Order: sequence, then C-alpha cells, then structure tokens
Amino acid sequence: MKYSYMGKGVPRIDAFEKVTGTALYTGDLRFPGMLYTKLLKSPLGHARIVNIDTGEAEKLPGVRAVLIGKEAPYKFGIYMGDKTVLASGKVRHVGEPVAAVAADTEEIAERAVELIKVEYEELPGAFDVLKAMEDGAPLVHENMSEYRHAPFIYPKSGTNIANHFKLRKGDVERGFKEADVVIENEFYQPQVQNVQMETHTSIGQWLPNGQINIWTSAQSPFAVRHLLSVGLGVPLHKINVVVPYLGGGFGGKAGLHWEPLVVLLSKKAGGRPVRLVMTREEQFYTTAVRQGFYARIKTGAKRDGKITAGAFFYVWDAGAYADYGVNITRAAGYSCTGPYEIPHIKCDSLTVYTNHPYGTAYRGFGHPEFHFATERQMDLLARAIGMDPVEFRLKNAAVPGRITATGEKLREDAGRVDECIKAVVEAIGWGKKAPKEVNGKLRGKGIAALWKAPAMPSSTSSSAILKLNEDGSVTLSISSTEMGQGTPTGLAQMVADELQMPIEKVKVVTKRETDFSPYTWQTVASRGLFMEGNATLDAVRNLKEQVKTTAAELLGVPKKELEVAEERVFALGRPDKSIPLAKLATAGIFPDGRGIGGPVLGYGYYTAEGLTNLDPETGQGLPALMWTFGAQGAEVEVDPETGDVRVVKMASAFDIGRAINPLLLKGQVYGGIVQGIGSALMEEFIFDERGALLNKNLTDYKICRTQDIPEEMVFIPIENPQRNAPHGVRGIGEHPRISIEPAIANAIYDAAGIDLFEIPMNRERVWRALRKKGEKRAFA
Amino acid sequence: MPLPEFDYIRPKSVEELVSILAKHGSEAKLMAGGTDLLVLMRDRLVRPRYVVDIKGIGELQGLSWDEGRGLTIGAAVTLNEIIASEVIRERFGALWSAASELADPTVRNRATLVGNICNASPAADTAPALLVHNAEVEAVSAKGSRKIPIEDFFKGVKRTALGPDEFVKAVHLPNPPDGAKSWYLKWKRTWGEDLALVGVAGLVANSGKWIVRVALSSVAPTPVLVAEIQNAFEGGGTLEEKIEKAAASIPGGICPITDVRCNAEYRTHVAAILTKRVLRKLLGLG
Repeated sequence: MKYSYMGKGVPRIDAFEKVTGTALYTGDLRFPGMLYTKLLKSPLGHARIVNIDTGEAEKLPGVRAVLIGKEAPYKFGIYMGDKTVLASGKVRHVGEPVAAVAADTEEIAERAVELIKVEYEELPGAFDVLKAMEDGAPLVHENMSEYRHAPFIYPKSGTNIANHFKLRKGDVERGFKEADVVIENEFYQPQVQNVQMETHTSIGQWLPNGQINIWTSAQSPFAVRHLLSVGLGVPLHKINVVVPYLGGGFGGKAGLHWEPLVVLLSKKAGGRPVRLVMTREEQFYTTAVRQGFYARIKTGAKRDGKITAGAFFYVWDAGAYADYGVNITRAAGYSCTGPYEIPHIKCDSLTVYTNHPYGTAYRGFGHPEFHFATERQMDLLARAIGMDPVEFRLKNAAVPGRITATGEKLREDAGRVDECIKAVVEAIGWGKKAPKEVNGKLRGKGIAALWKAPAMPSSTSSSAILKLNEDGSVTLSISSTEMGQGTPTGLAQMVADELQMPIEKVKVVTKRETDFSPYTWQTVASRGLFMEGNATLDAVRNLKEQVKTTAAELLGVPKKELEVAEERVFALGRPDKSIPLAKLATAGIFPDGRGIGGPVLGYGYYTAEGLTNLDPETGQGLPALMWTFGAQGAEVEVDPETGDVRVVKMASAFDIGRAINPLLLKGQVYGGIVQGIGSALMEEFIFDERGALLNKNLTDYKICRTQDIPEEMVFIPIENPQRNAPHGVRGIGEHPRISIEPAIANAIYDAAGIDLFEIPMNRERVWRALRKKGEKRAFA
Repeated sequence: MPLPEFDYIRPKSVEELVSILAKHGSEAKLMAGGTDLLVLMRDRLVRPRYVVDIKGIGELQGLSWDEGRGLTIGAAVTLNEIIASEVIRERFGALWSAASELADPTVRNRATLVGNICNASPAADTAPALLVHNAEVEAVSAKGSRKIPIEDFFKGVKRTALGPDEFVKAVHLPNPPDGAKSWYLKWKRTWGEDLALVGVAGLVANSGKWIVRVALSSVAPTPVLVAEIQNAFEGGGTLEEKIEKAAASIPGGICPITDVRCNAEYRTHVAAILTKRVLRKLLGLG
C-alpha cells in the first residue's frame, strides 16, 4: 500500500492554526450588538432569598437586561432536573449566581451588579458530606421527589441522597468468612477543579421569531441542544448550537452549563446576542467542579493471595446540584473493584447533596477517586497477608475469561491488565535493589493498576459524513469536539488509509454545528476515537459504495471488481478501466455527455453493541462497551525533614488495542500524568465552616507547573486489538490520569513507611504523617 | 474582569512625581511593574483615583555599584535586571537568589524590587535579603529626602513607614563585610511558582569574628530579622552545634499564623529547617 498512516506519529492536523493563534475559540467571537454578562453571586452557603432589589441596576445607562431566578423557573439537569440557571427561592452554595446583568460593556455590567441588593436569611447548611447523610441534616433540595430524573437514578426522598447505586454479587458475608485476613480502611479525596485553560464561555441569542442560536465552549453540542430543548420547552429544530475549538474540557464542559442563562438574557434584551465568560474565580466556585469522595472499603483474602470478598461504600460529595454526579456514582459503583475478579461483592455508591459548589464530570469520571482507595487497599491487603503487591495483583487480575463485578465474562479480546502491570514493573525496576536513601531523601517505588469503560447510555451512537469534493479531496464532518485530544487527526489518518490517498487531501471540519453536523451523543468517556472511528469507517465504506456504483456503469466493470486508491476507482490489473475520483464527485458523465449518479456524500454511523441496563437491586448487567486496562508506577523521593514528595519517574502502560498515532498518544499520557500529580500532591478545595471556598484562585489552588513534572515519564503501549473497534483501538483519554494518586501513595509507603489515606499528599500532610510515625517509634 | 475606573498619569521626572503626590496623596497609587497593584485593583481591594506609572522616569531606572558606596537599585529596576547583574550575584547572593525565586520569569520581567517592598506583604521574598544586607530605603517627598533603615521600613501587614506623599526612589545596600556570603531559601507548596510559606535569608562572614544574620518572611506580620542568631555563634562549640543553637532560637523570634496555605506549626518547623539549611550552605557544610 502506498499510503500508510496507521501507527505513525502524524503531527496534529490543527497544529498550525493553534500555534499561530488563528484557531477560533468561543471567546474570540464578536457579533454586532453583542452584550456582556456579569453575575451577582451568593456570599452564603445556604440561605433563603428574602428579597432582590434590581431597581438601581436597571436604571444604569447601558444595562439591557437584569435577570433573577424568579423569572427563569426552568429546571435543567442531565440526569436529575434539579437546577435553575439562577438561584430561585434559596441559594445552595457560596458563589451560586443570584442575578445576572447583560449590558453594553463588561464595565457597565460589573457596576450594575454592584447596585443589586439582596436580602438573605441564612439557613443551617450541609457542609460535611457524611453529616449530610444523617437524619435531620439540613436538606439541600426539599422537593427532590418532584424532580424529573433518569430511570437508572435512585434518589431517596426526604434525604440529601440523590442516587443510591447498589451492586450485590455472590454472598459477601460468606466471602469474608472464607478469608484468612480481612482489612477495612477509609479514604478521602477533596473537591477539585478541572482547571481548563479556557474558562466556560457562551454566547446566546433568542430571536423574536423563536430561533435560538448558541456559540459555546461545550464538549457536546447535541447534548446542549437536547437539554436546552427539554429545559425550556423549545422544539429542537429551533435551536442551533455551534462549538468551535475548546481550550480544554476534562469533563467540566460536558452537558449543559451556562447556555440557558445567556439565551434567557438575550430574550429579555430583545434578541441581542449575550456573551458570558467565567472569570477564573467563578470557574472555581460558580461553575461545576469535581465531586468530593469518601470511601470505606473492607476486603478479605486467603493467605494464598486470592481475594474472597469486597464491601465497597462510596460517598460522593455532589455539592448543590447532581449534574453528572449521579452517573459518576453509578459508573464508579459498577466498576467498584478495580481490575480484579472478586467472587463476593457488595457495593453501595451514593451521591449526596451538600452546600458546596456542584460537582460534574472530571477526566476519569470518578475512577481517579475510587482507584486511590482500591489500589491503596490492594497494597495494604498484600502487606497484611505478606505477599508482594505485584504478585497479589496478578493473582486476582481481571484477565480474559474472568468475571467482573457486574457478572460480565471478559472476552478474549478484552485487553490484558496483567501485561500492563508486568510492563510497568519492568519499566520502574520493581523489586530490583536500589538505594533507599539518596542525598538525605528517601526513595521508594509504588504501583497501581486500573480499568475504565465509558459510562454511556446502552444505545449511544455516533455518525459521520464524508463528502467527496470536485478535485478528489474529501471533507469529514463529525460532532465529537476537539479540545486538545487530537481525535480529528486520528480520524484523518483512518480516512487517508482507507481511501489510500495523501492525508493532505483529507479535511476534518473544525466547527461543530447542530444544524449541519451529523449527530453524536457526547464528547466524553474516552469514546471519541472508538465511536467516531467506527462511524467514519462506515462513512468511508458508504462513499466507496457510491463511487463504485457509478464507476461500474461508466467503466463497464462489475462493481465487485473495483478498488479505490490513489484518488481513482479502478479494476485491478486493467489500466484502461480507471476513473479519477474527481470525475465522480458531482456526478459521473458518459462519453455522450449523459450524467449518472450524483454528488457523493458518504454517511456512516455506529451504535454501541451488546450493552444492557443494570438490575436496580444487584447492579448486574453489561455496562461496558470496552474496558481499557492499565497500570502506573511511580518512583518518588521523600524529604524526611519537610514532607516534600518529588515524583522522580512515572511509568504507564495501557492496553490501547492499537496505537493509531503514537505521538498524540504520548501527549495524552504525559498530560494525564501531569494533571494527576497536581491532584495527588497539591490540589484541593479548602472551605471555611460556612462553606466559603478559601482558595478560589490559582494563587492558593496550586496546579502542576513545569518544575513539578517528573524527570522521566515512560509510556508503554500494549496492543491487544479489540474486536468491534476501528483498527482495534480502545479509548485512552482519561486513563493516564486515573491511578497516579495510588501509585504515588504506595511509593511514599515504600520510601518512608507511612500510609496515607487522604488526598492531596501535600508537604504539610506528609510531614505530619512522618512526625506521627517518628513519635510512635520514640514511644515504642 | 475589568478594572475599576482611574486616571493614569505617567510623570517624566522625580520633580513631577513629587508634585503629583503632594497634590493627590493617598488618592494616588504608584505603579512600577503593576504585578501587585493591578491584581489588588481587579479584586477591588484598592480603588485609587490615580495610578501613577513611574516607569517613564529615567532617574529611577539605575542600578549601580562601586567599592565605596555599595549597591543602589532604583525604584523602576525589574527583578530580571537584578538577576542579570554579575555584581549582585557575586556579592549580594541573598538578593540575587530571592529575586530568582520570586514568582516566575514573566512576572519578574515587570516586577521591581522596590514594588516588592512597598507592597509590604509579610511574604515579600526580597525583604529578608535586604534585612541581612542592612539595606537603606531612600524616601522622597516635597519636604525632601530621608533614609529609612530597612528594619524600620515595614510597619505591619501591607503597611510601611512611608507617608502618603512619599515614595521610594531607591534602595541602597552597603558592601557586605569581607568574605561575606549570603543566600535565600524559599519554601513553597510546590516546586513551581508560589508565594513563600517561609522564606529565610542568611548572611555569614568571619574575618576573626563571626557575623551571622538571618531574616525571615511569611512568619510574622512583617519580615523579621532574628537577632538571637548572632548570639548562637558567639559562644564555643563546633559549627554544627552553633547551627543547631541558631535553629533552636528561630521559634522564639517569629510568630507565624495558620492560613489557607499551611499551619503555623508547619511554618515554625520549616523556618528552623531552612535556617539550618541556609547556614550549612553558607558555611560550606554541604
């Protein structure tokens, strides 16, 4: 084959425009008559709104619309219809918008916001997730039972529990009796922020004729359109959602966020376009964040290393609104064991409302949180039975043929966690003799495995349109958005390979627009290359079918003898029977001038296969279109005097099925590691006792900088192809970020002999643990 | 987020600046790099009517040194200019290392030494370096000019000895004693850019008699010089013992708070550790 792009490190097809700054993002767009929005935000965590006086603000020249919650009673929510765009009746977290102003300039809007007066009556708040579950805790949503919700969500009315996912497999009590050793531990992860470079940005216009236009930094244009339509009661075809490039999403821009607000402001301002750009502070406490997490895990094993039973109790601090949180609770629930076979399982995973900023999706969809717990527990249990943690993991690994928590027997092509673990063991030199102390710093190694499947509706689908142009080039339209992950480049490689044409002749449309673009469910769940890839290959097949049908007539050759390559349709070994693709793009022409066929537009789709709903009582069923397995290993250096942890080396292996583009794959893996180290060592929301976020800025919410990146990062691709995948690929977007925390925590134990159960493992926390250990030794 | 409204004034001479301050006093805020001021204005923590940009004044841009008068750094000299100075690197190591640890290279391209001390944050990185180097601040107003020892310059959190019509023209550092070495160590929450949880500057010289000075940031309402350090080096004992004694005097010389960045307890612990580390480094103990 002349053209072969599969497995090659093709540079990103959007690199030039992104590097030169010509790539357009929502914040770059300007429209005639556009207005600017500012928000008045609640200073209180839980309070009744007694009165809002917007009189002075409305009088300010240049103010075009002031909106308060009472005027916008529409309920939104992807799984639970619990959220209005502005607080109505009461505020549920500090930073929640109470009023919004659209004005000629940002300065005027800002001044108008300062003129709005709100009278509150403070209520007792639910600021601790475990206390929020207790009887008599202040209710964040008194009317939860009236909310519309997805059928697979199980709220407990009269409580703060928005979802209770249950999984029951085997007989967990019997399993514990069979165990030689049983251990139980608690783990904690705080709320964190996705910290995208581009903050949430939306422009909305509600025209007097009923047409709604939206330009927004959303991951999923069709989800925005759908949720807006349901929430506002507006027909779908009256809404057009445009998404240009995104400056990072990491889950935080999935679903619907501020689009309804700008649209309602526009309506009130007579149809002028209204723009809202969140400030960095608002990104922390007004818009969505990652949920907090508490886990209590009890696991039993036999002395020979076989795990007999696991009881998993997961509590998710959803904050004030459920958003994606209820589904994260579910996804973490059905994946609760991590990549191991456990015969007897009980899992309860609960979403709990609190008066914190509201939780949403974040790269890994709950998996970084619960893997910290399960992969720490694996090390602790291995230690308790006196077995090497690697050997212990391999003994219980969920390899093909073994049964998952939901009762799925893993297929032969399911991917191999054992190969990932072995690859990482090799890469970090696990078990090899190494100095324990270097220049006064303690050295140690840790390992953690992982798995994750996309959390999607059982019938999730994607589609693609491939247009043949008059010069023989092709244009691919898909609706999976580009936010840095590079899916369009991977798809262009697939198209070029399938059509055997230079990749320079394949264009992938950069803008997503629901009026024109083919449907896709969402750009989430590490599903893009798998779902859009399958749809794109289907579109290529369809395009080939169309050109061959016409060419067969023109060349007088049976269709089945025709091939497509090098921008031609031809019969093998018959040089006279060949026609350029360019001559078929609009229609074929017979020698006498008659036309045949028509403009060529390949259409393809893919719908998830073989997924089922889960039983509400036992959680049994088939939730996973594919599992991507992996393992991560860390080598750390701990400063015994200060508690500083430096990640010296990080090795990662994932069974990605097939590497379409090793260069972009490396980008995903390295990016995930850096993001994970930030969360492992420094990121956390710190609240005061009344729910105010004390570090809502990048001064006091620390993220990784260049100096914090490990000296060495190793990525080992494992390639066991997946049967139903395009070229065998599996999703990888989230996975490199999943098991960073436990790998580092396990390495810290190896280095310094301290067990950490709380994230972040910042310098002060590690120092406290070291000191506690020192005291114990002194008094022993 | 937009800044609140203000008038922008860019004087061209010290005389012009003196008269602007005489006229507007506390309604005016001086801006050098703007890296502190603009952030405070954006957050509505200060709302000056006039922002007076001093970067257009040639007299404030000088950085000079000679054997007799020592080092003079004008109010508009940026931290990156300080870092680029060979003399500062060789003779005023604490100032050089403090400047190198402050924020990040892009901020240092605009931020100035004088801006850093006039902002009077307890966490000012350059302040401990100026304290161990016995710096003097040259303050100017319509009434004339005066020299304020750096120890008297900081009056509290975000408060200095400057009057509302007064500004800092330059900072002077005398030449350190013969053979002196100085350095600054900063402890943060990350290896990347951060404000100091604790900052420690040390200066050590010995030409027959020990001169040892240690000053800290982020451990009291103002940057502090811990005088007891000198005493630790005046008695007998090995160098190691002297260092231990010096570190033991640190908790008594500071009064850190607990805040969102860390606990007072951790600050106290790290202050002693960094004191030991900076002294060991300066004494060549590895």
